[in-house]
Amino acid sequence: MTLIRRTFIGLALAAPVLFVASADAADAIRLGYQLPLTGNTAQYGQDFKTAAEIALDRFNASGRLPVKVEIVYEDSRSDAKEGVAIARKFVDDEKIVGVLGDFTSGVSIAAAQVYKEAGMPQLSQTASHPDFTKISEWQFRNITTQAGEGPYNANWILSKGYKKVAVIAEQTDWGQSVVQYFAAELAAKGGTVVFTEFFNRGLPDFRALITKIQRDKPDAIYTGFFYEDGANFLKQAKQLGVTTPIFSTSAAHNQKIVELAGADAEGLSLTTNFLPNSPRPEVKNFVDAWVKARGAEPGQFPAQAFDAVNIMLDAVVKTYPKTTRASVREALAATKDFPGVTGLTTFDANREPQKQLSKARVIGGQFTAVSE
Amino acid sequence: MSEIRRLIRPVPILLALVIFVAVPLGLAQFGKGYFFQIANLVLIFALLAASLHLVAGVAGLLHLGHAAFYGIGAYVAALLGTELKLGFLWGLPAGGLAAAVLALIVALPTMRLVSIYFAVATLAIGQMIHTVLLNWVSLTKGPNGVLLFSGIKLFGWAAKTPVAIYFVVAVVVAASIFAIHRLGHSYYGNALRSLREDDQCADAMGIDTVRLKIEVFTLSAFFAGIAGALWAYTTGYVSPTDFNFSNSILVLAMVVVGGLGSLPGAIIGAFLLILLPEVLRGFGDVRNVLVGLVMFFSILFLPKGLFGEVSALTFVRRHFGRSQNRVPGGEVGW
Amino acid sequence: MFDPYYLQQLAIGLSQGVIYALMAIGFTLIFGVLNVVNFAHGEIYTLGAFVGLLVITALAPPLLVVVLVVAAVGAAFGVGLERIAFKPFRRFSDEASLKSRAMRESTLMSSLAVSIVAREGLELAFGSQMQTLPFDQLINKPIALGPITIVTGDVIIFAVAAVMLIGLQWLLTRTRVGLAIRAVSANPLGAKYVGIDTDRTIILTFAIGSMMGAAAGVLVGLYYGAIFPAMGFVPGIKAFVAMVMGGLSSIPGAVICALLLGLSEGLATTFISSNWADMVAYGFLIVTLIFFPQGLFGAGRERV
Repeated sequence: MTLIRRTFIGLALAAPVLFVASADAADAIRLGYQLPLTGNTAQYGQDFKTAAEIALDRFNASGRLPVKVEIVYEDSRSDAKEGVAIARKFVDDEKIVGVLGDFTSGVSIAAAQVYKEAGMPQLSQTASHPDFTKISEWQFRNITTQAGEGPYNANWILSKGYKKVAVIAEQTDWGQSVVQYFAAELAAKGGTVVFTEFFNRGLPDFRALITKIQRDKPDAIYTGFFYEDGANFLKQAKQLGVTTPIFSTSAAHNQKIVELAGADAEGLSLTTNFLPNSPRPEVKNFVDAWVKARGAEPGQFPAQAFDAVNIMLDAVVKTYPKTTRASVREALAATKDFPGVTGLTTFDANREPQKQLSKARVIGGQFTAVSE
Repeated sequence: MSEIRRLIRPVPILLALVIFVAVPLGLAQFGKGYFFQIANLVLIFALLAASLHLVAGVAGLLHLGHAAFYGIGAYVAALLGTELKLGFLWGLPAGGLAAAVLALIVALPTMRLVSIYFAVATLAIGQMIHTVLLNWVSLTKGPNGVLLFSGIKLFGWAAKTPVAIYFVVAVVVAASIFAIHRLGHSYYGNALRSLREDDQCADAMGIDTVRLKIEVFTLSAFFAGIAGALWAYTTGYVSPTDFNFSNSILVLAMVVVGGLGSLPGAIIGAFLLILLPEVLRGFGDVRNVLVGLVMFFSILFLPKGLFGEVSALTFVRRHFGRSQNRVPGGEVGW
Repeated sequence: MFDPYYLQQLAIGLSQGVIYALMAIGFTLIFGVLNVVNFAHGEIYTLGAFVGLLVITALAPPLLVVVLVVAAVGAAFGVGLERIAFKPFRRFSDEASLKSRAMRESTLMSSLAVSIVAREGLELAFGSQMQTLPFDQLINKPIALGPITIVTGDVIIFAVAAVMLIGLQWLLTRTRVGLAIRAVSANPLGAKYVGIDTDRTIILTFAIGSMMGAAAGVLVGLYYGAIFPAMGFVPGIKAFVAMVMGGLSSIPGAVICALLLGLSEGLATTFISSNWADMVAYGFLIVTLIFFPQGLFGAGRERV
C-alpha cells in the first residue's frame, strides 16, 4: 500500500497549488496575455512582455480610466497543449475582458477555438496564418498580412528593374503566405519567379541552398525569414560571394539581424511600418522607454505588440464603464486610424489590420528609410 | 473468502468511480473549463503513455518516434472531418487504423533490429513522418495545420459542454487502457516480457520475436492514433509541431518516470508530467527548470520509477486479477 | 567539364559532415563505455559554446587558447555530469538490478532531466535568442579554391576532428588508460574483477568525451557566428544517428557515417527541396540498418 500512498501524497502535494488563486485587486479590469516566456521562442515572448509592460504603465499612469487595468501573463512555450489550457484559464476568469497573443499562429489558432466558443476577443500581435481571423468574429491581429506586404514588395522589386526573382521562405504557415502572395503579384506584373524553396526553421547551414539559388542567376532574392535565420543566410551568402540584392519582409526587421550578421547585413532591403529612428513623438517615447528597459532598440515585433496592447486598452476605455467581452469586441472592430508606433491602424470588416508600409534598407548598420 | 474477493474488487470500482463520478463532479463544482481541459490532456497523454508502455515497457524496445503515430491519428481524424465530412465516429477508429497500418508498413523491414539500432530506427521513422506532415503541403496543408470545426457528435448527440467532452474522452481512454491492461497481463504480454528480458533466449524457445515486435509496434501505434484523434477533436486544430521529436521524448519520459514496464506507472507519469508544468505556473519562468529537477530527483530516488513494474504487477494481481484462474499456491495463470 | 556546382555542393556537404563528426566522436566514446544514451551530450556542446563566448568576451585570447580553455571546462562539466546523472545509478550492483530494464534505462532519464535543467537554466541566464560572438574571432573567412569556396572554419574544424580522431585512436589502442576504457566497454564486471578501477575509468571517459563535445560546441559557434541554448539539439540527433549507423563501437565508423550523413544531406539539397533533406538522411539510415542491422562497421552481436 505504500506505493499507492506515495502516489497519492505526490498528487495531494500538487493539488493545493492548483487552487491558489491570485490575489485580486479591488475592481481592476483584467486582460490576458498568452505568450512564450520560456522555450525556444522565449526571446519573442519576453519582448512582448516588456512592450506590454511599457504600454500598461503608461496607460495606468495617464489616468484615462478611474480603475486600473492589469495584464495577466501566461507562458505558453509556443506549445499548443499549454496554449489551449491557458485559453480555458483566461475564459474562466470572469474579470478578463480581452486576450492578447499568442506568438505563433499554431498556438494562436488552437487557443482561438476556445475563445470562439466562449466569446472572448483575441488580438494577436503576430499570428499571420491566413485563416486566423476567419475562425470567428472574435479574432483580430495586428500584423500586416502577406496579402498586403507581398504585392508591395513585388512592385518594389520590379520598380528597381529586377525581373528574375528567387524566393525562399521558412516552412511555416507564414512562409507559405510570403511566397504565395509575392509570387502571384510578381507574375501578374511581368516578373518571373525563377526559384522557389522552403527551408526548415532553424536550419544552420544555408550554403547548399544559396549555391542552388546562384545557379539560377536571379536579379534579386526575396526572402521570408525571421532575424535569426536571416542573419545566418546573409552571412553565408556573403561567404559564398553572393552580390545579388536581397529583399525581405518586416519579420526580419530587428536590430539583432545587424548585430548577428554585422557588415554582411549591409544592403538588406525590407518593408516595415516601424522605424525606431522616426521623429514621431509616440515612436520616440516608446523607443526611449524600451532602450531604458532593454538597452537596445526595439524591432518590428515589439512595436506590433506595443500597438496591440494599446489598441486593446483603447477599446477598454471606449467601453468603460460597460466593459464586457462583447463590448470590447465591438470596440476593437470599430478601431479606426489608431495612431500607434507602427503607423495608423484600422481593422477592416475581416478584422485584418490595414497599415501603411514603408521601405527601409540597412545602411551603415542602421535600418534607414528609403524612398524609391 | 475467495468467493467474496472474487465478487468484490474494490480498486477497479473505486477507479471507475473516481474517473466517471468524482472527477467530473469535483471539476463541475468549480465550473471551470480550465480544469476540464487539463483533465482531457491528462487522459489523452495517459493513453499515449499507456500505448508506449506496450512497446517500451512490456516489450522493452526503446521507441523514440511515438509522437509521429499520435500525429498520424490526429491528422487522419482531422482531414477526414474537414475534407470528407466524416465525423468523430469515423475519425476515431480511422485515426487508430491509419496509424496502425503505417506502423505495420514501416515495421516490416525494421523490426529485425535490436536494442539501440531499433531505437535509432524508430527515431528516423518518427522524424520522417514529421517531415512528411510538415512538407507535404497538398495533403496535410503543411505548416498551416488543419482546422477542425465539427466537434464531437455521436449519433446525433453533440458533446458541447466541457463535461460531455470529458466523458467522451474518458470513456475512450478508459476502454483503450483496459484493453492495453488485459493485453499486458495475458500470455501474450508474458511473451512480450520474454522478448524484453532476453530476445535471443525467447527466439530459441520458439517465440517468433520479429513477428511479435511487428505486432506490438502496430498495436501501440493504433492506440497512439486513437489518442491523436482525441487530441484533434478536443483541440480543433492540429499542426506538425505538436508531433515532433520533443513530444516523443515527453511521452517516453512519462513511461520511464512512472516506471518502465508498469502500466499504472505510465499513467502516473502522464499525470505528473502534464500536471507539473501547469501546477508550477505560479513560479514563473523557472517552472521548466523545476520540472526537470522533479524528473531528476524522482528517478534518482526511485530509479525503477514512481510505481515500478514489480510492485505494479503485485498490485494489479491483487486487485484486478481473476481469482478463478488462480492456481492454489501460485499466482500464475492469467 | 564537370560542373563546379556539384563540387561546391560536395564541399558544403562534407563540411556539414565534419561538424556532425566532431560531435559524434565524443558521443560515441561515452556510449561505447556505458552502453547508454547520454541525452545531455548536446547540452555539453551548448555549454562549451557559451563558455567560449564568456572567455572570448572577457579575455579575447587566440583561438587555440579558447579551444583549450573550453575543453578544460568541458572536461569538468563531463565529470560533473557523470557524478550527478550516472554515478548514482551504479549504486545498485545486485543481480536483480543489473538485469532490470527499468534500472538500465534510468540513466537515460536522468541525463535527459539534467539536459532539460541545463538548457532551461541557460535560457533563463542568457535568454533564448541567438548570442553574437565577436566578429574578428569568427572562423568564417572565405577561401577560394578554384571554382569552389570554402571558409577558414572548414579547414580548422577538419583539422580538429582529425586530431581528435587520431589522438583518441592512439589513446584507446596504445595506452594503458585506453586499454582500461576498452576493457570497461567490453565487460564492466570483468574489468572490475581484473582490478581495473571502473569508476575512475568511466569518469575519465566522460571527461574526454565531454571535452571534445565542448570544443565542438565552441568551434561550431565560431563557425556560424551565433550560439543559442537549443543549438545542441539537432547536431545531437545527427551525432546519435551517425554513431548507430557506424555500429556503436567504432569511432572511425561513426566519423565516416557522419561524413556520409552530411554529404547525403548536401547532395540531396541539389535534387530536392532543402526541407526534405532530412528525409534523405533518415531514409539512408533506415536502408543502411535494413542491410547492416549492426551498423556499417559494427561487430557481430555477441551472446550476452
